[in-house]
Formats: sequence, structure tokens, C-alpha cells
Amino acid sequence: MIEFERVSRRFGDQDALRNLSLTIEQGEMAFLTGHSGAGKSTLLRLLLLLDRPSSGDIRVNGEPTSKIRSRMVPRYRRRFGVVFQDHRLLFDRSVHDNVALPLVMAGFSPTDTARRVRAALDKVGLLYHEQANPAVLSGGEQQRVGIARAVVARPEFLIADEPTGNLDPQLSSEIMSLFEAFNQVGVTVLVATHDLPLISRLRHRIITLHEGRLAGVRAQ
Amino acid sequence: MSSSSRQTREGWSRIAAWRSQHRSAATSSWQKLIARPVATGMVWLVVAISLALPGAMLLTLDNLRPLIPDLERPAQVSVMLDGELDLEQAEALQRELGTWDTVEDVTLVRRDEALVVFGEQTGLSGLLTSLDHNPLPHALLVSPTAPRTNTALSQLVKAIDGLSGVDRVIVDSQWMSRLDQALLATERWGLALGAAMVLGAILALANTLHFAIDARREEILVVRVIGGSPGFIRRPFLYTGLYFGAGGGVLAGLMLWVLSLWIAGPVNALFALYGSPGQIQSPGVGYPSALIALGAGLGWLTSWTASARYFSRLDAS
Repeated sequence: MIEFERVSRRFGDQDALRNLSLTIEQGEMAFLTGHSGAGKSTLLRLLLLLDRPSSGDIRVNGEPTSKIRSRMVPRYRRRFGVVFQDHRLLFDRSVHDNVALPLVMAGFSPTDTARRVRAALDKVGLLYHEQANPAVLSGGEQQRVGIARAVVARPEFLIADEPTGNLDPQLSSEIMSLFEAFNQVGVTVLVATHDLPLISRLRHRIITLHEGRLAGVRAQ
Repeated sequence: MSSSSRQTREGWSRIAAWRSQHRSAATSSWQKLIARPVATGMVWLVVAISLALPGAMLLTLDNLRPLIPDLERPAQVSVMLDGELDLEQAEALQRELGTWDTVEDVTLVRRDEALVVFGEQTGLSGLLTSLDHNPLPHALLVSPTAPRTNTALSQLVKAIDGLSGVDRVIVDSQWMSRLDQALLATERWGLALGAAMVLGAILALANTLHFAIDARREEILVVRVIGGSPGFIRRPFLYTGLYFGAGGGVLAGLMLWVLSLWIAGPVNALFALYGSPGQIQSPGVGYPSALIALGAGLGWLTSWTASARYFSRLDAS
């Protein structure tokens, strides 16, 4: 469960988030939407402790993140799988090595790593590209490698920032189906997107931000 | 039982994971270095030159050190006796000093001999023979026993000065101080130059490492977001720094060897010409090992600092 409690973030005299209170239930899948500059990215950055709130607190499974010391931040972040808009794969290594990165970081053994990487790639339908360089893959395939990397260490939460931003509607829909599949096995999923036509067809909560405030919630 | 064995296994697997992370960081950093042989070679050369110069200076000092004890202290103390002392009394003093432990040898210079030598050396023989009496006293040349340390020498001078019939004891201490100061100045000059060269190596390394880190900015950002610890992110760069520094050290050691082989001929000939049995001292194993250790240490530390600086600026942006 993720709880934002009266969270504000100021940059100089600009409010990126204003007094935001919000709860994402355990096992829920929710969309976060709003115009650019509405505060979606700020919210995700605060959640990943890439930034700290000016006031208020964020609780994850009841634990206030303000109490997490910087030394423990990497361990905290490993509870999240993160999917980026531009997938941010590393082109100096194979698809396998990209997906394996969170496992190597967490200290999994090579056999265990190989097994989990293959399972994750299988789930996103790219097992046959395991040894390829990600640069030779299409945009949709690259994004699916990014998703495999995000889920390979079986995180509690899956966070995606505009994951379909550069994809056509068909591929976007496929990506969303993947997120739904992970949600069905118990992962809490939060997707920031402004692809309203796509998400309005899906039966998940839609949280709308406007100028840093909660502007509306469409129930599931 | 089962819980303790699981603990052991987990403990081991943590060590194994740590080792495997190190191995992969070490390998990937090495592969990145050898993928750009010219750039890497240039860094090695810069580090090598910066380390080899102070190294060569130290080696030179090491080579001079065995020669210095002979030069360091005057071999003789001149003892001027009272003018009214006759030859027999002077010879008695010579015999007495000869029995001292601190004295190796005593030579008597008779006043008439001294006058002749003085006349010959100054060209004033004619003038001197016209004097109705010899103005020079008898003198003793005293060779102290080794080791000719400053304290031993000054104690000896004091003891001789206390004898009756001794007018003055002359030690050419000015010459000694000059040499001391010259050596001190050379040593400090060497230290300053060495420090400057090492600083140059650090700056060159810091700059190169900054670019190496910056080239992997995207990777750093991604790994940070997905939970890579600072240690994990820093590790490949520490290995890069280590390779740059240690490689430079290896090259510096080689340079020192080549240099000492090259100058050995003339220097050994020079030793022989001065009648010294000395031979040029080679860098041996000690110098190259020290240079490699120094280079590796500098590389590692510089990389640590450069990455810490880079990450803190990344945090701030």
C-alpha cells in the first residue's frame, strides 16, 4: 500500500505538488494522468526517493519514507520495478545482461539469474532475442525488454512513467495488457500516462492531477 | 541445525555474490580499457612519466648515499700547538693522542716542514728565509676513528682543546655545513618536484576518470533508480582507476630499469675513475613494486574522489 499524506513539493516559488493525499491499495492497478507539468513525474520521483517532499510524508506499507536513511535507499528502491518512457536500456550489453542488472545488483547467483531472466523474457515474449543487442530491436520490443528488467526481481510495486509514450496504439495496448498480467499475480501497479483513450477502456482507477493537486479520481 | 546451516549458506552466498560483482566489474572495466588502446596507453604514459621522474630522483639519492659518509665528515682535525712548545713536547702530545680510542692516526707536522711547504705553496720562500725566526707552530693532524658523527667529532675537538700545549683545533666545519645545506636543498627540491609530478598524475587521472564516468552517465542514472547501491555503481570506476594507476606504475618501473641500464656504463666508469669500488644500484624489485603500489593507490583514491564528486553533483542536479 502506498499512501501520500498532504505531500507538497516546491521548487523555488513553483509548486510541483500541493497538499496531495492519495492511497494506492495493495494489489491495485491505477493510472496517474494529467497534463505535462501536472506533477506526475514529481510524484513518481518522490515515491522512488529520487527527491524528498517539502512537506508531508509518503508511507509504503505503513512505513514512513521520511524515516529511510540514505544508506537504505537503494534497498528501498529494489522493492519497485521501474519502466521508463524511453525504456533506458544500456546498448553496451545484450538483452540478457540488461534484464539481469537488478539481479546482479541484488547478488543473485549466475544460475538463478539466468533462470529468472529467461522467465521474465518469456513473459514479455522476447526469449528468442536474449543474446541480441537491444539496439537492433524495435521500439515496442525495447519497451518490453524494459518491462522484463522491471519485473525480473519480482518487485512489490511496478511503476511506469509514460511507458507507451512513443508507441502506436496497437503496441500501447499490448504493453498495458502486460501490466495487467503482472497486476493479476499480485503486483501493485502505478502507471503515469496521458494516453486517455487507451486507459479509459481499461477498468482501473484513474487519478488525475492538475497543477500539482488531485483533480479527480475515476473509480474502478 | 537446519537454520544454522541455512545461515551459513546465506552468509557464503553473500560473499560469493560480492565476489562475483567484483569479478564482473573488474572484467568489464578492463575490457573497456583495452577497447581503446591508444587512449589507455596515453593515460598510462602520463602516469608513468609523473611517477618515474620522482622515482629516478630517489634512486639517484639512493645511489649517492653510500658515497656520502666518506665525504660527509672531514677526515682530519688540525691541531695548532702553542708557539713555545718544542719538538719533544709536540712528540709527547702526538704519542698521547695516539693512545686515544677516538683517534685513528696522528701525524706531526714540524714547524720547519710547515714553513717549507708554506713557502712553496705561496711562492714566498725567499721572503720567509729572511725571517729571523719561524712564526709557525708545530701542528698535529688527527684522524678520528669512524664513525665520524657530528657529536663524536665535537667531543674529540673539545677533548683535544683541553690539553695543555694546544693553541687551536681547526675543523673545516664551514665546508661541512655547506655540503649539508646543499644536500638538504637538493632533497627538498626533489621532494617538491616529486610532489608536483604526482599532483600532475592525480589531476590527469581525475580528468580522465571524470570523462570515463560521464561516458556511463546513462547507466549510472538507470542503476541508481532501480536500486543500485553507491558501492555497486562506483565499483567499475574504482577498477578503471586502479588499472590506469597500476598500469602507469608498471610502465614507470620499466622506464626506471631502462634508464638505469642506459646510464650504468658511464656512471660505473665514473666510480672507477674516482677509485670507488661502487657500482650503480639497479631499481631491483623494490622500486617497480613501490611504483606499481603507489600508482594503483593513487588511481583507486582518485577514482573514489572523482566518482564521489560526480555522484554528488548528479544528486544536486
